[in-house]
Amino acid sequence: MASCKVVNILYRALPLQPVRDLLIRTHMEKCECCQAQLASRRDAEALLVKPGDAGAAEALWEMIERRAVQAVRVPEKKAAWLSWEWAAGAAAFLLVAAASFWLLRGVETGAVRADLTRPPERFEIDYINVGGAPAQAFVYQPRGSEMVFVWAGKNL
Amino acid sequence: MDEREIVARCLGGAAGSERALVQAYGPLVLAVALNVLANREDAEDVFQETFIQVFRNLGRYDPDRSFKTWLLTIVYRRSLDMIRKRRRFAEFSERARFEPEVLARNPGPDPADPQPLPSRFLKGLSPKERTALCLWANEGFTARDISAVLGCSASTARVTLFNARRKIKSLLENDHGLLQSR
Repeated sequence: MASCKVVNILYRALPLQPVRDLLIRTHMEKCECCQAQLASRRDAEALLVKPGDAGAAEALWEMIERRAVQAVRVPEKKAAWLSWEWAAGAAAFLLVAAASFWLLRGVETGAVRADLTRPPERFEIDYINVGGAPAQAFVYQPRGSEMVFVWAGKNL
Repeated sequence: MDEREIVARCLGGAAGSERALVQAYGPLVLAVALNVLANREDAEDVFQETFIQVFRNLGRYDPDRSFKTWLLTIVYRRSLDMIRKRRRFAEFSERARFEPEVLARNPGPDPADPQPLPSRFLKGLSPKERTALCLWANEGFTARDISAVLGCSASTARVTLFNARRKIKSLLENDHGLLQSR
């Protein structure tokens, strides 16, 4: 009992996963007193939705049938940006861009700097893509505010 | 049909194999999504997105790994995406102060059509803890199995499950105490 108290104090005082895991494996998993402080499998089951209660398998298939057939016909293409050639190209481009910025930053004139810092006169948006496909977009600007909210949702 | 046979038939493009896959694993996917999200509409969205992703990426599935674990990993990630999406939208709508009639267009659940939802006690847990508890209690997963789904180490999964069980016990005891004091 005394060791349980020490273990519990250590568990709360040291929120480090390896320490907590060690305490669980060496003491809490084996100690009846510590186990009594945990919900049993039966307690947890009573709170959860079980697969048998989630819905009839046939009804679930009907829910997804049309989209599933389309998905099988059109398998997802491998994302082109994942290939190492693209990654190497992007890294090289970033390197050149960073070097150019570093070399040319002293050449800027005052006029250019003023132009860059001027606030945009109006908000413009041509289109929004989500996951490579055109998405529904909503633009909202509260009255008297300079904030603009853009909410984009995937077209299903 | 066992797991390997169902997946092999799907990979071979056999007629009706997608239906067999959904019928075999659909209830499991929906139950996990419901337990993590506690919202029928969102869980059904996650259910659909999960199977669409499975059908599109079945070619990338490694047959040496458990199909169930691979599937549940997708459900977990999709559920997290859904939680993030809902959170972003809630923040946005709060800041934009939508008119009440706009919000009223999305009605709540129909009381005449009760759908199973997990207990309110689960709201005291993080999505990670809810997933760990659900996999442990409903599927009999060990810490190692749970870690494969959550994408973390076995020790992290063990601690997550332990914390979830401890929180639930505490919530149940508090509730029991409140009932007795009434």
